[in-house]
Amino acid sequence: MLLILPAFIIFSCEQPYTPPDFNTEPQIVIEGYLEAGQGAGIPYVLVTKSLPFLTEISPGDFDILFVSNAVVAVSSDGKKVPLTQLCLNQLPEELKKQAAIALGLNPNNITANICAYVDLLQQIKPQIGKTYDLEVLVDGKTITASTTIPNYVGLDSFRWTDLPGEPNDTLAQLLVTINDPPGKNYYRYFTAQGDESLIPPFTSVTDDVFFDGKEFEFPLTKAERRGGDFDPNSFGYYTRGDSVTIKWCTIDKAHFDFWNTRDNGANSGGPFSSYIRVKTNINGGLGIWGGYAVGVTKLYCPEK
Amino acid sequence: MKQAITLIVWIAGILMLHGQSFTISGYVTDESSGETLIGANIVDGNNSEIGTSTNTYGFYSLTLPAGKHTIIASYLGFQNGVFEVDLKENVKHNFILTEGIEIEEVVVTATKDDARRNVESTQMGAIDLPVEEIKKLPVLFGEVDILKTLQLLPGVLSAGEGTSGFYVRGGGPDQNLLLLDEAVVYNSGHLLGFFSVFNSDAIKKTSLIKGGMPAQYGGRLSSVIDIQMKEGNNKHFAAEGGIGIISSRLTLEGPIIKDQSSFIISGRRTYALDLIQPFLKGGNFEGTNYYFYDLNTKLNHKFSDKDRLFFSAYFGRDVFKFSQPKRDFGFNLPYGNSTATLRWNHVFSDKLFFNASAIYNDYQFSFEGGQEDFKFKLFSGVKDWNGKFDFDYYPNNKNSIKFGLNYTYHTLTPNTAQANNGDVDFSTGFLPKYGDETAIYIQDDIKFSNKFSVNIGLRGVLFSQLGPYTSKVTGEKFDNFERAVTYNGLEPRFSFRYGLSDNSSIKGGVTMANQFLHLVSNSSSTLPTDIWVPSTETVKPQRSVQYAIGYFQNVLNDSYEASFETYYKSLYNQIDYADDYVNDISKEVEDAFVFGTGRAYGAEFFLKKSKGDLSGWIGYTLSKTERSFPGIEGGRWYPATYDRRNDLSVVANYQLNKKIEFSAAFIYGTGKWYTPTLGFFFTEQNLNTYYGPRNSERLPDYHRMDVSMTYTPKPDSKKKWQGSWNFSVYNVYNRKNPYFINFETETDFETGSSSITGSQITIFPIIPSITYNFKWNQK
Repeated sequence: MLLILPAFIIFSCEQPYTPPDFNTEPQIVIEGYLEAGQGAGIPYVLVTKSLPFLTEISPGDFDILFVSNAVVAVSSDGKKVPLTQLCLNQLPEELKKQAAIALGLNPNNITANICAYVDLLQQIKPQIGKTYDLEVLVDGKTITASTTIPNYVGLDSFRWTDLPGEPNDTLAQLLVTINDPPGKNYYRYFTAQGDESLIPPFTSVTDDVFFDGKEFEFPLTKAERRGGDFDPNSFGYYTRGDSVTIKWCTIDKAHFDFWNTRDNGANSGGPFSSYIRVKTNINGGLGIWGGYAVGVTKLYCPEK
Repeated sequence: MKQAITLIVWIAGILMLHGQSFTISGYVTDESSGETLIGANIVDGNNSEIGTSTNTYGFYSLTLPAGKHTIIASYLGFQNGVFEVDLKENVKHNFILTEGIEIEEVVVTATKDDARRNVESTQMGAIDLPVEEIKKLPVLFGEVDILKTLQLLPGVLSAGEGTSGFYVRGGGPDQNLLLLDEAVVYNSGHLLGFFSVFNSDAIKKTSLIKGGMPAQYGGRLSSVIDIQMKEGNNKHFAAEGGIGIISSRLTLEGPIIKDQSSFIISGRRTYALDLIQPFLKGGNFEGTNYYFYDLNTKLNHKFSDKDRLFFSAYFGRDVFKFSQPKRDFGFNLPYGNSTATLRWNHVFSDKLFFNASAIYNDYQFSFEGGQEDFKFKLFSGVKDWNGKFDFDYYPNNKNSIKFGLNYTYHTLTPNTAQANNGDVDFSTGFLPKYGDETAIYIQDDIKFSNKFSVNIGLRGVLFSQLGPYTSKVTGEKFDNFERAVTYNGLEPRFSFRYGLSDNSSIKGGVTMANQFLHLVSNSSSTLPTDIWVPSTETVKPQRSVQYAIGYFQNVLNDSYEASFETYYKSLYNQIDYADDYVNDISKEVEDAFVFGTGRAYGAEFFLKKSKGDLSGWIGYTLSKTERSFPGIEGGRWYPATYDRRNDLSVVANYQLNKKIEFSAAFIYGTGKWYTPTLGFFFTEQNLNTYYGPRNSERLPDYHRMDVSMTYTPKPDSKKKWQGSWNFSVYNVYNRKNPYFINFETETDFETGSSSITGSQITIFPIIPSITYNFKWNQK
């Protein structure tokens, strides 16, 4: 399809589109995670509002995105822990950087006042095999979700190889091995190179349908930022002579479904595919309440 | 019970006969090429109400009282054939008609032409399009396209800008039975559906039936598009072809034994991307290419007036090669149909015509590629072996009976993926699914009086999913050819015609149909990757009932044919994907199906002028089509993708003089439904889309006008070579019809800025094209 389309694009043209006025109320969006395992981050929940069409938000009014009056609580094993909203601007500079890293943000770029609900007293200790229920009260409306942290299945080995095709001295390919136990497993991963923050690749989840119960080696593509420049010759490869961080996670089915529909919906689009509705596990809102069993590995991509 | 009623009606029809009568039978052919003429009218000059028409093979049989008769054969664009006969015994007579305008002297008042069928036939919701009419119309990129011409008829909606996909009376794209010389064509589109697979140079006639489907057809709910290939000139050698901006084509035909056997071979290939190959050299994508080609061929031999053998075949492929040599990456993506039909015509008697067909058809899709040690292959397909016996029985001039038997063995290969990386092999391991379909039918076109006639038919169908198969429900294993699940259905077909006057009639009908093979497309257009699946233990057959009634009128001495038809269609066991469906090669598509019901109703207006320098038609459709699936938004009735409230086509053709002919087509349609984006939300610092209810918004209305001029420099030339130029302009007033809506989101969560803009993409603005067409005749 990649090259057939340009034939038509030669003829095609575009003009601005103004959508019909839907008059829809903004939806409440939950983005919350719980991590267990080596390198696990702190649990947090972002409560935001959806944006209408043709939105232009400048840094000055980015705050409006965040819902500040929500009552957020996480329960597990009959114990209910309330979360407290904390905004980056409330924190001293050093703490702010740490908080940004915990939220998966690049501390050097951060200027927006991001607000998250966090477990200040660190009462929640996410554990593998446990189920966590989330309850959010906003403007008299109750939003609920539930997630389970599954058993962790990690990557067994890592090795660097040359790129396929023409020789290249500055880039390398990462091959990893997994020993997938029999039964259904769902995986998600993130990569970072150098000081960058961990980001997921465009297709960030997979199940084990092709390697169920097998030992399997495959290239682990480097994640690229959405909206960045696409270079077919370097896409998915790592720069030699720099550190690399890999975060490999196992997730439950509902968590997989969310990213699977989200990634596919974001990657497709255009004239030949229809819409994909993102399958949320949030009752009464949009977004994701996701548990991760994680393992973080630091690597060095050697110079040639 | 239904069978008993059928039988009684029959006997009654036959008993209405009295007196001694004899049968005149034979073929109607074109004088210049020897091609048989399908649907030519044969009437008794003494009584124009008594008549028949030739069948698909050009055969007719007319039974008349003893005595003198003037038999007239007529066919649009040909001079009438006249045969004076004193019937004392059964007579054989072949009419050989000459192309050209009617000469005054042979005009007989009782002449019947195609136009009369509008008011006199019991058939409704049917239109025949000779390829000559199709070729006159303006086209996109100079490519004459039968399926796009069909979209200009009322009740037939285009699936989208520039595509050959279409929807008939609220039915999905898989509900159209596309037949090329009786072989089912499973994928009718080249280049993502922008061009149809039918090369018009090899085609003789196209018939569309969108309602009142006769019992001889089955297996699809919404329509039949019956396309007949040319047989090849059995008088002399001839060539025909064209050179266009994206493709060229060439057809050769001629006698093998003069007047007895002939051949035709026709090919077409695109080359637009071949031309850019030099520019790709040395670049990232060297070797990347796309093209498609078609080959049609047909051979026939006439052993005698009683026996004739036909062999026809089609082979077409789209080939997409992607190559990224610097990364040692590449793939090949070929797909296409092949069909072969062997037919034997035998005339058992003056009243009984027989045809036996053996048909093979195969649609294959494959996608194969790799990078270094990693290799992958993805393939799917449909293959049918089909045997048919069809009889046409003309017991008298009141009854015209067809009956037959049809057996098809299907092999459907689901999307199967295989890969290997060094020593490790992976496969989805999906096995092909097998099924067989048996149908038996009988129908009678009964003329009770000049005013009242009916067509009554019954089709019995039986479909089984066959082993090897392991039940997904019970785990039971079925061996080769063992029946895993069987569905059957009785499909009554009934239509009537009541004449209000010589020039007007009312027609009505009921059609029931079952469909055992299904294709669910998750895209706005039909794609080569769409998978056909059979009815199985979990996928029930689609069923429909259609009621139609209409008023038909001819005016100004049959110069204008008009019709007004209304229909209501109920659809059961309809199939779709849920709206969170993700295409996943590791799962069989039917596991993701949701099932529901549908309804479609509408009114169609058609006004056609076939005679004179100015010809053309106006077609207008007012319709509504809805679907309801428990698995989609809790069963809310929503407008189907195939719904379009208003659809108007105006087609005009004007012959200025022998050298110059103009054509124009104007199309207007209510905007297509789409599922609107209601807004966006953040996760992981990226914006995601959230959608409103399915198909709850329309794109702006669609309209455009195409024009063309055909210039024949030497129309009267007696030379063997005859050339003409076709200049076409698609979308002449450059309407920016939206093809899809694109969103650009620019967002930086860390600095707190976000902007979302939308743009409307138009793919075909004004597009001129030029084609040089030629004909060469040995004569």
